[in-house]
Amino acid sequence: MIVAKRKPFEELKTMLKDYKKVLNVGCGTCVAVCLAGGEKEVAVLNAELEMARKLDDNPIELGAKTIERQCDMEYLEALDDLVGDYDAILSMACGVGIQFLAERFPDTPVFPGVDTSGMSANRAVGWYEERCRSCESCVLAWTGGICPVTMCAKGLYNGPCGGTNDGNCEISDDQPCAWFRIYERLAAQGRVDCIMDFHPIKDWNDTVPRTLIQPGYEKLTEPDEE
Amino acid sequence: MNINLITNSEVKDIAGDPGNFSVTLTNNPRFIDSGVCTGCGDCARNCPASAVNQINKGMNDQRATYIEYAQAVPLAYAIDKDACVGCGLCENVCMAKAIRYDDVERETEVTVGSVILSPGTKGFDPSGLDYLGYGKYPNVVTSEGFERILSAGGPYFGHVMRPLDREEPKSIAWLQCVGSRDTNRCGNGYCSSVCCMYAAKEAMIAKEHIHGDLDCAVFNMDMRTFGKDYEKYCLRARDREGIRFVEARVHTINEIQDTGDLSVRYADESGEMKEETFSMVVLSVGLTIPDTAVDLAKKLDIDLNKYNFAKTDPFAPVETSKPGIYTCGVFQGPKDIPGSVTEASAAACLAGSELAAARGQDIPEVVVPEEMDVAGQDARIGVFVCNCGINIGGVVDVPAVQQYAAELPGVVFTDANLFTCSQDTQEKMKEMITEHNLNRVVVASCSPKTHEPMFMETLEACGLNKYLFEMANIRNQNSWIHSKSPDLATRKAKDLVRMAVARAGTLKPLSAKVIPVNQKALVIGGGVAGMNAALNLGKQDFEAVLIEKDTQLGGFSRNLHHTIEGGDVGAYVGTLADEVNGHARIEVLTGTTVTGFGGYKGNFKTEVAVGTTGEKRDIDHGVIIVATGAIEYQPKEYLYGEDDRVVTQVGLADRLEAQGAADLDTVVMIQCVGSRCEEMQECSRICCQNAVKNALHIKKLRPETQVFVLYRDIRTYGLLEDYYTEARDQGVIFMRYDADNPPVAKAASEGVLVTTRDHVLQQDVEICADLLTLSAGMRAADTADLSSIMKLNANQEGYFIEAHVKLRPVDMPGEGIFLCGTAHGPKLISETISQAQAAASRAVTFLARPEIKLSAITANVDTEYCVKCLTCVRTCPYDVPVFNTETKEIQIDEALCHGCGACAGVCPRQTIQLGFYEDDQIACKIDALLAGGM
Repeated sequence: MIVAKRKPFEELKTMLKDYKKVLNVGCGTCVAVCLAGGEKEVAVLNAELEMARKLDDNPIELGAKTIERQCDMEYLEALDDLVGDYDAILSMACGVGIQFLAERFPDTPVFPGVDTSGMSANRAVGWYEERCRSCESCVLAWTGGICPVTMCAKGLYNGPCGGTNDGNCEISDDQPCAWFRIYERLAAQGRVDCIMDFHPIKDWNDTVPRTLIQPGYEKLTEPDEE
Repeated sequence: MNINLITNSEVKDIAGDPGNFSVTLTNNPRFIDSGVCTGCGDCARNCPASAVNQINKGMNDQRATYIEYAQAVPLAYAIDKDACVGCGLCENVCMAKAIRYDDVERETEVTVGSVILSPGTKGFDPSGLDYLGYGKYPNVVTSEGFERILSAGGPYFGHVMRPLDREEPKSIAWLQCVGSRDTNRCGNGYCSSVCCMYAAKEAMIAKEHIHGDLDCAVFNMDMRTFGKDYEKYCLRARDREGIRFVEARVHTINEIQDTGDLSVRYADESGEMKEETFSMVVLSVGLTIPDTAVDLAKKLDIDLNKYNFAKTDPFAPVETSKPGIYTCGVFQGPKDIPGSVTEASAAACLAGSELAAARGQDIPEVVVPEEMDVAGQDARIGVFVCNCGINIGGVVDVPAVQQYAAELPGVVFTDANLFTCSQDTQEKMKEMITEHNLNRVVVASCSPKTHEPMFMETLEACGLNKYLFEMANIRNQNSWIHSKSPDLATRKAKDLVRMAVARAGTLKPLSAKVIPVNQKALVIGGGVAGMNAALNLGKQDFEAVLIEKDTQLGGFSRNLHHTIEGGDVGAYVGTLADEVNGHARIEVLTGTTVTGFGGYKGNFKTEVAVGTTGEKRDIDHGVIIVATGAIEYQPKEYLYGEDDRVVTQVGLADRLEAQGAADLDTVVMIQCVGSRCEEMQECSRICCQNAVKNALHIKKLRPETQVFVLYRDIRTYGLLEDYYTEARDQGVIFMRYDADNPPVAKAASEGVLVTTRDHVLQQDVEICADLLTLSAGMRAADTADLSSIMKLNANQEGYFIEAHVKLRPVDMPGEGIFLCGTAHGPKLISETISQAQAAASRAVTFLARPEIKLSAITANVDTEYCVKCLTCVRTCPYDVPVFNTETKEIQIDEALCHGCGACAGVCPRQTIQLGFYEDDQIACKIDALLAGGM
């Protein structure tokens, strides 16, 4: 799941200081689940902003609308009739949703309400651990299901480096060494040979925005020629 | 409604037989009619006569018109005629007209089927022990007095001060066993059971209340922290809070003249004389039976023991010598709160068994008119503002508040009353609701905690749904605290009323779901606890299924021979099992284990595998009683299992029964094997009396046998202390050892050589034992599978956790699930029996109703917007929300929901709403407050 955290309040306040009417748009999927941008967080942020602006003698009128997903145009449609009433939009979605919203309403300034931090698993309420950097060339098959791109501070493919330290990473004693754990798991499974060969490093040159089309959907999803 | 509370009265006589007693009561005059008194306190505020505050142990004064303490039931005042000067002021100021100067002693009679005696206890009065200086030195107080000093309602309002100069003490000494374990000075040979624990608690609280450093020392002979989780508490007191536990009995206290400090002299363990100075001394006074209780017992011809506790049989712990009359609490024997609460339920169980045929007959039926449908109607709000005598009216401008309320949106009627809670105002309120067609009611008065249920009943009596009601607390949260600023208080009262009216407009009628109760119990475990629980349910005419994993009933008790009192356990268990097996209402399934579980209170379904074939069977039942028992620890210490001259206490008892003691010259017992250690921090409670019991048995069989008991603290609590005294009289030698330097056992051809440090001689002593007996602790039975199937919570020692340690000791957190016996924690057979009776009693309160009304205040999830993020699932303290894998939706079962609202608060999509506390219904109060422009 994509996780995000709300931007610092002061940053948000500064961002919106010149706008009197702002529509705060929540996203009902990933950021709702990670407790950053669903109905509740939208309501909480609006209440805080309203109070702060009142105290500053610069009152603001805030709208609240949480839609199912901001990364689907069909859901964004629900905002079409609303947006005209506002000077700006604040989006509580991940970076994907914010950009899609900005694309849908190109005439209105769209601001990010959250900082998107990545793809994480839910450990407990409000506790998320990153597990994937979406590198588009998964190596988990030969790394025992432990991602060296995400879990190794250096993203090494042929680790560990000299900084491995009693099973932990040199950056912190709380950070396990990914390669130590990869070795331990593969050894337990009798698959150490998986990492005996040299693996070429990933080509990070290819960092243009990626487009993914699931097989069989090529025709259906082809964007209309403008 | 089925409890008739008669206070300020004494039993004069009881005539008749079980099932039909006629009780003559003397009702002492109170001089204030408790039915009319509203507890406003105007009388006491105006009373010019002062009296000594007995509850606060004479450390401050009170008025002659008084209430004993803030939580008193009934919450009504009384006049102390000894102190009253008869000025008539209270009669003049009482607006409720409750004063009755001419009240006289009366005599009334009640007819009952059973009687329970719970006359309670009185702290030992140490005035007679002059070496302690109580009554002579002001800074020597009793533990009861110190409790009051710690209390917010006490003489110093919770600030820890010493009586002499009202200074914060720098050091406090607690002296244990004052009036207990002392045949020499006061004749009380028993242990009071509770003082060690309360001393540790008082020391902890004192440290918490005092801002600087406080040195706390508890002088004791043995620390007897034998209850569930008590040992851990004591260790925390010692290791984390630095409270000192000194093993010594203080023999002299002297006041140091200029400072009022107290010099305390004692001999330490090695016999060396010590002297220490403390700012204050607390005497941990024991529990005694009040003279009035003794008189009552004599009048009723009930046998008492030599200390005036009611005589009971170990296998019938709450039955007095007289049929139909039961007892509980300290009158039965010294005990703590959980023990008393448990016994109270046990006594209720037995009292109820005899009357089962007449159940429900004398309960008045309340007829509620059919509910009016207010759906679609505009809010017609009625606001009733209370003066509460002068409690509110003396500070707040009530007419102004009433007038203000009349102008609020939706308000169609307002009224102001002297006492809104009085019976006549309730009647008036009903008339007004009907006359003005009100569909929402707001009362601006006191705390909803005490009065909301009553007002809700008034609504129901007019056919109005009780959830169409809201209160504004303009007394406790306003007039009482802002009495010096009446203008502001009036403004705040208006704010509070405006908020309440706003909320009232949003309220919706809620209906509580009624579910049927399957009036049958499942009892898990066929030991003494399970059998007693099942039998008592059967006696109250409820069906019970008793499942036992072993092939026969009896549990661990089949390994036991006698109780310390001499009760024959084998015979008792045999008779009990026969009675259970032969009972028409009890089905016994042996060789049976639980394999599946589902449902909720009143409607459980448990799947069991029965017998050798393991045939599966579903049992439908309304309640569960968990009685899975415990086992004896199998020691890894002291050559156990390696040398057959090393046995456990259970093994020793077997041996004494089978072979006697003729061949034993020397027996050594080691206490706390597998208890109070790293692996098991807790005390096993029963081993000290077990050692004493077996030591006495040996001495009886062969007086010349030498018996040594190596112990850390001897914990023969309550009346068991007499047996400890007897054992010493018989020549059993008790030697204390230090946990850091435990005894060592070595096998030799001549015997087991046990070496231990003698703290008086300060050197090692070697004893050659023919038999080494280990007091192996108790361990909870392995219930890992059962706990995971039935979702029952156990503590780290494996004992199941009760709903509330003190107040609900046999209820489990899940409703309809009860707990008894050693599955709850280590205990004796007699304690197990009373706890099993208690569990049956608690289960009956549930089973006696064919249906139960669920709370209407439950959480509901709007599945359409739910993103199944599981935040509610992970947050709920009761594990109620679940993801239903079939419907693929989050589901909150209203029968299981406790209505705490935690899920509603955390739901990121605000799709969970708590009935009566919906987001809007709370937020609108804030909006209304802010709209007023604070």
